[in-house]
Amino acid sequence: MKPNFLEIIDINKKFGNINALKNVFLNVSKGEVICIIGPSGCGKSTLLRTVNWLTPPDSGKVILKGEIIGSDTGKMTFEQNNSLNAFRARIGMVFQQFNVWPHLNALENVVRAQIVVRKIMRDEAEKKAIKILNEVGLKDKIDEWPDNLSGGQKQRLAIARSLAMDPILMLLDEPTSALDPELIGEVLSVLRNLVNEGMTMLIVTHELGFASRFGDKIVFMDAGEIIESGPPNTILKSPKTERLKLFLEKLSLTSL
Amino acid sequence: MKFDISYIFDALPRLLEGALITLQVAILGFCFSIILATFITIVKTSFNSRIFNGFIAFYISFIRGTPLLVQIFLIYYVLPVFGLNLAPFPAGILAITLNSAAFVIEILRGGLASVPKGQFEAAKSLGISGYALWWKIILPQTFITSIPPLVNEFTMVLKATALLSVITVVELMRVSQQIYSANYHPVEVLSATFIIYFLMCFVVSRSSVFLEQRFKVKRS
Amino acid sequence: MLEYQIFFDYFPMILLGFWLTLKIVVCAIALGIPLGLILALGRRSNFIPISFFATSFIELFRNTPFIIQVFLFYYVLPFYGLRLSAEYVGILALAAFGSAYFAEIIRAGIDAIPKGQLESARAIGMTDWQSMKNIILPQTVSIVLPPLTNQTLTLIKESAILSTITVHELTMTGLMVQGETFRPFEVFIMVALLYWALNETIASIMRRIEKRYSRNRKQNKIVRSKIDIIKSSGFSR
Repeated sequence: MKPNFLEIIDINKKFGNINALKNVFLNVSKGEVICIIGPSGCGKSTLLRTVNWLTPPDSGKVILKGEIIGSDTGKMTFEQNNSLNAFRARIGMVFQQFNVWPHLNALENVVRAQIVVRKIMRDEAEKKAIKILNEVGLKDKIDEWPDNLSGGQKQRLAIARSLAMDPILMLLDEPTSALDPELIGEVLSVLRNLVNEGMTMLIVTHELGFASRFGDKIVFMDAGEIIESGPPNTILKSPKTERLKLFLEKLSLTSL
Repeated sequence: MKFDISYIFDALPRLLEGALITLQVAILGFCFSIILATFITIVKTSFNSRIFNGFIAFYISFIRGTPLLVQIFLIYYVLPVFGLNLAPFPAGILAITLNSAAFVIEILRGGLASVPKGQFEAAKSLGISGYALWWKIILPQTFITSIPPLVNEFTMVLKATALLSVITVVELMRVSQQIYSANYHPVEVLSATFIIYFLMCFVVSRSSVFLEQRFKVKRS
Repeated sequence: MLEYQIFFDYFPMILLGFWLTLKIVVCAIALGIPLGLILALGRRSNFIPISFFATSFIELFRNTPFIIQVFLFYYVLPFYGLRLSAEYVGILALAAFGSAYFAEIIRAGIDAIPKGQLESARAIGMTDWQSMKNIILPQTVSIVLPPLTNQTLTLIKESAILSTITVHELTMTGLMVQGETFRPFEVFIMVALLYWALNETIASIMRRIEKRYSRNRKQNKIVRSKIDIIKSSGFSR
């Protein structure tokens, strides 16, 4: 049997007494787009953050292309920490609050990590940054400071920053939730291009329309557990569990 | 030479006596400085005289811009020139008071700014003015909001008193110097003194949280 | 009743003391800020022995009078075999004292940066130190600059205490001149005015920088990039 591209094995995480994640298993094949949905506080963001070990879980393993990103409890050794940084460099992460770096201009936001983490020469890094900024539609904002960008532009800049690292996997944590409705489209269209290029992605999202059109699989979480998962049509059209039904009803009510 | 802890135990009783004097000087100086600063604050806000405010601004700038040590020398050496001979202890208290008052004025200004303007107007419309306005309405609010910076200022005063040793006020620092110049064990004696100062200042600075809590309860 | 002659006769000597004060303070800052940065990072460290040491150092030096720190350095260093001239002892003491305050200022500055900034740096593969150097500290500089300047002014004033261990700085020179002339008023006014002028000069320069910075914050990118250069030269190199 061919090993999966990304394997999330039996992840558990507690914050105090609350089970943020409980026995979570998830397999992702290369090129697959997984959309994670669920009520707020269900652990979907935490799951995303355990994949690149930003929030180390209490127990469990994450394996990317057959190599362990992180596993087990307690402290990691120095070597593990080093390889963790190498993994993170290949896993792009996009945050709800953008987290662009306000003291660097748009170009430098995309250039800095290439130089610092991947030790690429500045000329080359800048060339690449300009090319990617072009692709996300920020060609004329290259010298701009993040403070002067709109939310949608900031998020596209954040995506460009990740793409410059040649990621093999993208983690997107509610990439459009902090945006005004009229700015969501521009970010979604960038994401659509990524899907078409065959990027493997884990997306935490409330955009059911996007999820059903571009997601290969939808994962529904509640109270730290994966309740249901499957192709968008089955999940959205014929939910098996009561909890998912309730969640979808609520969501369709609010979007009406 | 080795670090001999027995010298610490020998010195401890006298050091603690010195610490009591330090506390005394600090409390006296701080109380006078609060009285002086409160008086100046009331005059400043009530009369809004340009000459007076200018003079106070000059005074604050001078105190904040020059070392306390130099201020102490100015008071200790210069007052006699004008025929005012002060013993070290009162001269020290005077120096601490004048120095600290400049900082307390600034603290009270901040506290006063947090009292809503409407309080003055409301009081005036009720016919409350002068003594009652300040004593019953404005000052209590000012002081309660100023508790944390005032506690901080008190630790500053506590530390500042150590400088009075240079004009022979026999407080903790001076006592410590007297002891080690007799037994030639400065390292042990100074270490003990250092720890005593630390404990005093640390306890005072941590009390800020406690005081705040207490006054909040009282207010509600 | 003022004897103006004293101002003229002794001003060069006083100025010499002033020059030593300046040199000592500059050295103490040059030592104290890096040490403060190390202490600030140490206090935030997850490794308990390091954070305990840094916290103790900071709290001990912040909660004791500078004069006793000076005397401790003066007697403790030779006790452990390190014999230095009074000037060097003074610089070390002033740097240690200053670093405790610098550390708290820098720590507050780091804490003021939103958590997502560090997370995004870590998520893209930067090590802790790379994230600090490239992302966190450059943003901290503009926040900590005013309080760091204030602390510098404090160091200038506290340096007067070094006169008690016979460092021939401004205050010590004043005391010596007063011993020769018995004119305390003229001498100490001269000394005080020099301290005051130095303080006011630095404070007004700082106010101007702050004002310009806040005025141009949202303006054109040339100014912003200049500020960026000032900022990054302050810490990353």
